[in-house]
Amino acid sequence: MESITPQHYLILAFLLFSVGFFGVVLRRNLLLVLMSLELMLNGINVALVSFSRASGNLDGSLFVFFIMTVAATEVAVGLALLVALYKKRKSVFSEDISLLKN
Amino acid sequence: MDSFLNFSNENLWIEIWPELCLALAALLILGLDLFRKPDSSRLLSGRIAILFQLGLVIFHLFDYLVWHHTFDRVAFSGMLSLGIQGDVMRSFFLLSSLLVSILGHQYLKSGSLRCGEFHHLTMLATAGLMLLVQSSHFLMLFVALETVAICFYTLVAYNRTSEKSLEAGIKYLIFGALSSSLLLFGIVLIYGVGANPEAWGAVFAGYESQDPLGFKYISNLLESNPNNLLLKAGVVLIIAGIAFKIGAAPFQIWVPDVYHGSPMPVTAFLAVSSKAAGFFVLLNLVNGPFLGMAEFLMPLLGFVATFTIFFGNLAACAQQNLKRMLGLSGVAHAGYLLVAVMASMQFAGNSDRAVWVLFFYLFTYLLASFAVFGVMGLARLKDEMDHEFSVYEDLVAKHPWMAFVLVSGIASLAGIPPFAGFIGKLLLFSVAFEAKLHFSLIAMVVGVAISIYYYFGWIREIIFKPRPSFSDETEENEKDLWVKIPSFSMFKLCMITLAICSLILGIWQGPFGDAF
Repeated sequence: MESITPQHYLILAFLLFSVGFFGVVLRRNLLLVLMSLELMLNGINVALVSFSRASGNLDGSLFVFFIMTVAATEVAVGLALLVALYKKRKSVFSEDISLLKN
Repeated sequence: MDSFLNFSNENLWIEIWPELCLALAALLILGLDLFRKPDSSRLLSGRIAILFQLGLVIFHLFDYLVWHHTFDRVAFSGMLSLGIQGDVMRSFFLLSSLLVSILGHQYLKSGSLRCGEFHHLTMLATAGLMLLVQSSHFLMLFVALETVAICFYTLVAYNRTSEKSLEAGIKYLIFGALSSSLLLFGIVLIYGVGANPEAWGAVFAGYESQDPLGFKYISNLLESNPNNLLLKAGVVLIIAGIAFKIGAAPFQIWVPDVYHGSPMPVTAFLAVSSKAAGFFVLLNLVNGPFLGMAEFLMPLLGFVATFTIFFGNLAACAQQNLKRMLGLSGVAHAGYLLVAVMASMQFAGNSDRAVWVLFFYLFTYLLASFAVFGVMGLARLKDEMDHEFSVYEDLVAKHPWMAFVLVSGIASLAGIPPFAGFIGKLLLFSVAFEAKLHFSLIAMVVGVAISIYYYFGWIREIIFKPRPSFSDETEENEKDLWVKIPSFSMFKLCMITLAICSLILGIWQGPFGDAF
């Protein structure tokens, strides 16, 4: 019976990262874009933890805490901006937010 | 107590005193603003911020010019490595932060926005930038980068009464977070291979350092495994993340929108500090940990630089909005600077000349950009984001000093002698020629030639008489278009100093001259 190796974790992390990436690029709802950004960071966390576990080096596990903190601040700022924008435009869809054109 | 003292001595906290001072002063300003009595002046925090940063700039210059704190040193067990180049960049960021505070002070005078937070965020971002350029460990690099980025997201959206500013903030946040995720994924791939080389088909060489996120370890790893696929992917992702930050094509899509929507002082901050930090980090990476991959990176960077130069210049020609135009011309400048980074890779091991050319170029870019954005900030428009060419019609007759400062800034950006920008471009060309980057050199020359077109269009509006207009209404409106500045004010003095500095540096390079 085959066991789960770091390679499998890397594939999982890559898939999560890609789902998040395409979510950011393709989604029209800005709330979902913010969620996709989180998904990308979570994919990275999975990879970090598995690498760290496989090699016995704790730096990776430590790094995850920093990433989680940063992700939280990023989303806090993002949601604050989104709320301020929603008050003005009454919409969170990217096609309604396009004043910045030539 | 003893262990505390040991901890403090081992980590050399004293080495980061400018960052600590900035961060503490930023907190102080925030607190002061919180407990300010409602009837006292709301501009007080701005004055404190400017005075404090002026003192810090002077003291920091003293620190490394007079007391010669310029030897290479390592602090925080390999997290930071400090040296003369890092010190030059630190002074650069302090100076630019001082100028942002001066511009911001002027900008906030008229509006109803709060002042304390602006200066607080500017100073925190600067402290982050100063740590970023000295980091020699990927954990430090990531945390410093995010400190800067989160301050910038807020600053870009600072004018929250304007929808455009908020929109620019959201756009910058999404693109910025995307780019940091790419960078992070690259770091993780390199970490994964570095921590456990055998599992990923890499060779394990005896390493000097045991820290798989430190630059030294990664440098050894990449040197012994230049063909590992995962390592290559990691390097490309990290370079892509930084290319986003400096606005290099094909990652430049956010630049025009964000420059357009952000308040004027923040546009200047983004254009100068954020870009300079990106370049210095790139320089550190390609000359440090990524040196083993130089053969693989050269064509990649060459393509990116050429594409960036052409895209930036051609797109800027088509712009009617001046802030967008400046953003795209900033993209073109990023292309020129990338060529300097490539040149420094060609001179591997002996890259000092290319690095000093890069510094000189960044410094002229700072002088010119702050002059241009400072004067632009004085226009009182219905919508402050909409700077068209027509706003500047015949400025030379209305306000000669503004016209002088603006023209000197634009001419320096365009690279017209006798301004400093010309010398900067000349040095860049000579360095590219020495490094045998002939193709990039041709791209640069063509790019500069194109850029003269749009810069001159602007100069023409300022200096030469406007087209005859037959409606009286426009005449009435134009009378009070520009903010009145008292004849002796700090802001005016500072703007004129910037213009004169870029004139003097164009004729006499002084302290920089020895390095070439």
